[in-house]
Amino acid sequence: MIILCTKEDLLSGVNTVQRAVSTKSTLPILQGIKLSATKEGLWFEATDLELGIRILLPVNIQEEGEVVLPARLFAEVVRRLPDSSIRIESSGHNINIFYNDSHFELNGYDPEEYPEMADIPSGDVIELPGPTFKNMIKQTVFACAVEETRPVFTGLLLQIEKEKISLVSTDTHRLAYSKSLLNGNEKEFSGIIPSKTMQEIYRLVGDEEFLNIKVSKSRVIFNFNNIQVLTRLIEGQFPNYKQVIPQTCNTKLLINTRKLLDTVERASLLSRDNYLKTNTVRFNIENSSININQYSELGKISEQLEIEQEGEDVAISFNAKYIIDLLKIIETDKVILETSGPYSPCVFRPENNEDYLCLVLPLRN
Amino acid sequence: MGQLYQAISEVEENLSKLLEEVRSLRQYVEYLEEENIKLKRQLCAVSEADTARVQKNAARIQKEAHENLEKLYQEGFHVCHIYFGEPLEGSCLFCNAFLRKD
Ligand SMILES: [Zn+2]
Repeated sequence: MIILCTKEDLLSGVNTVQRAVSTKSTLPILQGIKLSATKEGLWFEATDLELGIRILLPVNIQEEGEVVLPARLFAEVVRRLPDSSIRIESSGHNINIFYNDSHFELNGYDPEEYPEMADIPSGDVIELPGPTFKNMIKQTVFACAVEETRPVFTGLLLQIEKEKISLVSTDTHRLAYSKSLLNGNEKEFSGIIPSKTMQEIYRLVGDEEFLNIKVSKSRVIFNFNNIQVLTRLIEGQFPNYKQVIPQTCNTKLLINTRKLLDTVERASLLSRDNYLKTNTVRFNIENSSININQYSELGKISEQLEIEQEGEDVAISFNAKYIIDLLKIIETDKVILETSGPYSPCVFRPENNEDYLCLVLPLRN
Repeated sequence: MGQLYQAISEVEENLSKLLEEVRSLRQYVEYLEEENIKLKRQLCAVSEADTARVQKNAARIQKEAHENLEKLYQEGFHVCHIYFGEPLEGSCLFCNAFLRKD
């Protein structure tokens, strides 16, 4: 393998695939990045067997070939290369990086041992609108469980039914749901995609108008720009989320999003390090205002926020982190809050937007 | 002519089979009708007081079961089908939906 390229090319390749490199040391070769010089250009790829990322870069290929290099070290080397023209030559499993009048030799792994990221030959291909899908990920990915005895909660349920697409996530304390339209789509799909994959899609999708997904029962491939993201689906049944979404409410509020976020963030400063480890914020809702009066060993806060209120007065406690997470992704000036009391899930949604909602279950006192 | 005879006797045979089936079906219908009448009589024999008592009992058992589940949830255990009986961290949307449903 002989290639001529720039530092930028190498950086772009490494940065794109690096997060798919395995962090576990069970199979050492998975800690590598594979470089394949082909007629099409230079492929970078990495996989932890759950998630795989590939990117094709149009560099000057003098001689085809492939190598697998230790990801962390290669990335460090690339970041420290000068901005001069670079020539990479392989010799056996190792490479030599030539820059200016110097060179850096790096030992690699046997590329024959690197697992292949297989295509889905007969999968359905569905076209998704890039910016919309990216926004849907942002609206839901935060509500996934981080570590969970039930793996289904560490993923997002993607459902495509003809012209409808939805994403749902829940950690059983809160739930985020976002839907949109897929104009002209005839195909169907339902699967649970790991949240790590979705975070990568969010990070890597730029301003592409569309991305394609190719689906099978156990895997999905996302294609956009010159990038491919392959992911295994999470096995198991996603619980019936529709039954937890309340259909009625006793109190409906319209609140300034920014002001509520600031208030909750200030209130949580007093409780976030308390001995109970719960970051509680209590809303006393009465006479068209939210009152927050809290104290801890650290100090005391007393705030009053004017709101529009329909229905009963109510007092509800929340985990402040959940409220902060969801208010951060609501882009409208005002947020709607619907509640049926301190024991029922509270619904938050952007004003004038029926396509998104986030549920939070209040804390029991 | 031999062929025609054979065809006719085949039709005859099929018809008699069909007739046999119709007869057995009629028997079955008669049996169902009898059963229906019997059940209707039994239903009439149950007094309104008895019906009310049974309904009240069922409601009480249901209420007790619901209260027990509610108590279990309050004491910090899941009652939803996903995690039933496992320790609860804070709260659970699925337990909540299960307990709120009528
Ligand atoms: Zn539960």
